[in-house]
Amino acid sequence: MHMADALVAPAVAGTMYVLSTGTAGLSVKKVREENDPKKIPVMGVMGAFVFATQMLNFTIPGTGSSGHLCGGMMLSAMLGPFAGFLTMIGVLLVQCLLFADGGLLALGCNIWNMAFYGCFVGALLIWKPFMKKGASRAKIIAASIIGCVLTLQMGAFSVTIETLLSGITELPFSVFVATMQPIHLAIGFVEGLITAAVLVFVYEARPELLWGLGEETTAREGKLSFKNTIIVIAVLAAICGGIVSLFASAFPDGLEWSMEQVAGTSELEVTGGAYETAADIQETTSLLPDYAFSNSESVLGTSFSGIVGAIVVVLITVGACYAFKFFKKKEASN
Amino acid sequence: MNELHPLGKLLVSVLYIVLVASINKYDIVTLILMSVYLVFIFVIGDLSFRDGIYRMRLVLPLVIFVGIFNPFFDKTVLFYIGKIGITTGMLSMLTLVIKGVYTVLAAYSLIITTSIDDICYAFGCIKMPKIMILVIMLIYRYFGVMAEEAGRITTAYSLRAPSQKGIHYSAWGTLVGQWLLRSMDRAERVYESMLLRGFKGDFNTVKKKVKKTDIIFPVVWIVIFILIRWRVIL
Amino acid sequence: MKTGIHGELLKIENLSFTYEDGNNVLQDISLTARDGESIGIIGANGIGKSTLMKILVGLKLDYTGKLTVAGHEVNKKNLNHIREHVGFVFQDSDSQLFLSKVEDDVAFGPRNYGLSEDEVQRRVTEALEKVHATHIRDKHTYKLSGGEKKLSSIATILSMEPDIIIMDEPSIALDPRNRRNLIGILNELDVLKIITSHDLDFIMDTCKRTILLDEGRIIADGDTNTILRDKELLETHGLELPLSLNTR
Repeated sequence: MHMADALVAPAVAGTMYVLSTGTAGLSVKKVREENDPKKIPVMGVMGAFVFATQMLNFTIPGTGSSGHLCGGMMLSAMLGPFAGFLTMIGVLLVQCLLFADGGLLALGCNIWNMAFYGCFVGALLIWKPFMKKGASRAKIIAASIIGCVLTLQMGAFSVTIETLLSGITELPFSVFVATMQPIHLAIGFVEGLITAAVLVFVYEARPELLWGLGEETTAREGKLSFKNTIIVIAVLAAICGGIVSLFASAFPDGLEWSMEQVAGTSELEVTGGAYETAADIQETTSLLPDYAFSNSESVLGTSFSGIVGAIVVVLITVGACYAFKFFKKKEASN
Repeated sequence: MNELHPLGKLLVSVLYIVLVASINKYDIVTLILMSVYLVFIFVIGDLSFRDGIYRMRLVLPLVIFVGIFNPFFDKTVLFYIGKIGITTGMLSMLTLVIKGVYTVLAAYSLIITTSIDDICYAFGCIKMPKIMILVIMLIYRYFGVMAEEAGRITTAYSLRAPSQKGIHYSAWGTLVGQWLLRSMDRAERVYESMLLRGFKGDFNTVKKKVKKTDIIFPVVWIVIFILIRWRVIL
Repeated sequence: MKTGIHGELLKIENLSFTYEDGNNVLQDISLTARDGESIGIIGANGIGKSTLMKILVGLKLDYTGKLTVAGHEVNKKNLNHIREHVGFVFQDSDSQLFLSKVEDDVAFGPRNYGLSEDEVQRRVTEALEKVHATHIRDKHTYKLSGGEKKLSSIATILSMEPDIIIMDEPSIALDPRNRRNLIGILNELDVLKIITSHDLDFIMDTCKRTILLDEGRIIADGDTNTILRDKELLETHGLELPLSLNTR
């Protein structure tokens, strides 16, 4: 699920950075308003916990394989959306800085794909409504599984969109989606089961640790922000849907290809309905894929001599660096 | 390398990654030239290319998956080497993989020459909220402790459940749940320990002094990047 | 921070504490402690030693009775003052050392009190000197050995220059050599020390006065040598003679 730097164009990465930092800014403000310094160490330790659970392997019943926890939904259930979101950012940052897992440039995308959906959609749209009239084992299990599956699907879909918008791949939209979504459906389901098992245990042992169970405390400030989030999510869904249809029509060949390959001919026709507009949409969307700073056409004239010249320059640099190091060492030893 | 001001290093690394990612997918010449930065950092900083490449085992599969279809969809022939026609699709796949390698190596060189405290200090310089910085530092600090605990739990589990791959679903809740509760207790103690030493939600650090090289390093590299990226030279 | 109070630094009168579930962990505790004393608090598992420690440093405020630390009554209003005067060394060093470098962790307390950087550095050096651990100043906390972790966590408290140091099971998980080293270091500190431990030999070597707790009450309070040699007293309250005195 972690995206690499090479998969995103700067324009896409920048947009996602703006969205993610904006949400992070809002979250910092909210966490500050709560003015509960106790939350900070809990965020840190929980972050480390979520990070470390990724090292545990769980046997998936009935199959020979195993899976691990990703944690967005669990953080939501323990910390609420804002602190959970910040914690998840912390985890992603440390992963990126420690393991080079997910790049610096792609960080904005990764935060959005994994932390935003997991924490905001997971906490406000799924966990909270489920727990509104008191918690129970069944509700926790349902919320965990639905939450994990849904948020992971949204995340996987965003990965697809971001990669395609970056113009990195020639892969048709439908093929990409048809690969990403089912894989993450399975992952989401397993993660949901694990999350459910853990949260049920916490609910039975120390229910006060779960977020959003106390009705009185959340109801007052909840109403406003709940409505707002629904609006925000609806707008986002509309935007996402718009982009999807743009892309679906921008890659008619791919759609045809995948209709034969993946799903048979009939079902996908609905998505491919916007054929007529394909031409002018292609023009608008192609602004992004070919986003580059300048003279992008001339590079097609790339010749052998150009490549050879570039390699020579690099070799000279290698030589110069080693020479520099050699003399520096000599200097130091004298 | 290690002593340079972290803000300069962070700035140069991020700019490098952005510029590499922005290079047109057929422009292999600029891409090759861009490697001079990595060569410099790895040779002068005495870093190991092998370790850097080892880091990529997690990232590269997705990059290759995304790029592998390019040669099949984009078949315009650019030139011939012997009898084999080099197509734009092959070229764009190659540039994609190279970009993947460059960006990971650039991030790797930053991480390996800069401690997490220094990176957090740089984050502080660009006005990242202190709450966030403290959370990052805590995650980093307790990741080791937790990972050890995870190791102990798995060992204890597998010693009593041989011939089992991973943890059986009947133990998911109790095993991780117990551990989670213990982690929460730890968080409580950490909080108490902070509180007893005057923590009030704020966090203070010392300012680092800026040396001459701290300014020269980023400025020189930024100029070189611009020269290469927009092909002022060659 | 030193108050300059010489006399009763700690005064507890009829202190009781009940948990929410109705468990009376502490009942009617009274004691006073003076500057420079070293007091060992002993008792079996779960008889309220840790709770008492937490009350003394102001982590649990809903107690009944009267409690004065360094001239301030322990209540919400005085917490900041109290914490300047009392240092608490946790049993688990990993919870105490939460920053990645020893130096930064030792400096955390002084920096929170807004001291100048020169003063902070002086305090860090001095605190590490007191625990004979100046060589680990630049080390990362996760790379320390168990003994080094304990010494660093004591240093994080010493850098605040408290009047009272409270330690929860300091000798736990230390090898014999580190344990001996710690005894030497503690005996060099001239502040009021309150140490809880099951390691009665450790108490024997570090504390002049011992208080025996059982079922939330003070059973005995007096000279360490007298109490720790009283086999019958110790055994009725779930403890055993220190190994060094056990001549069987």
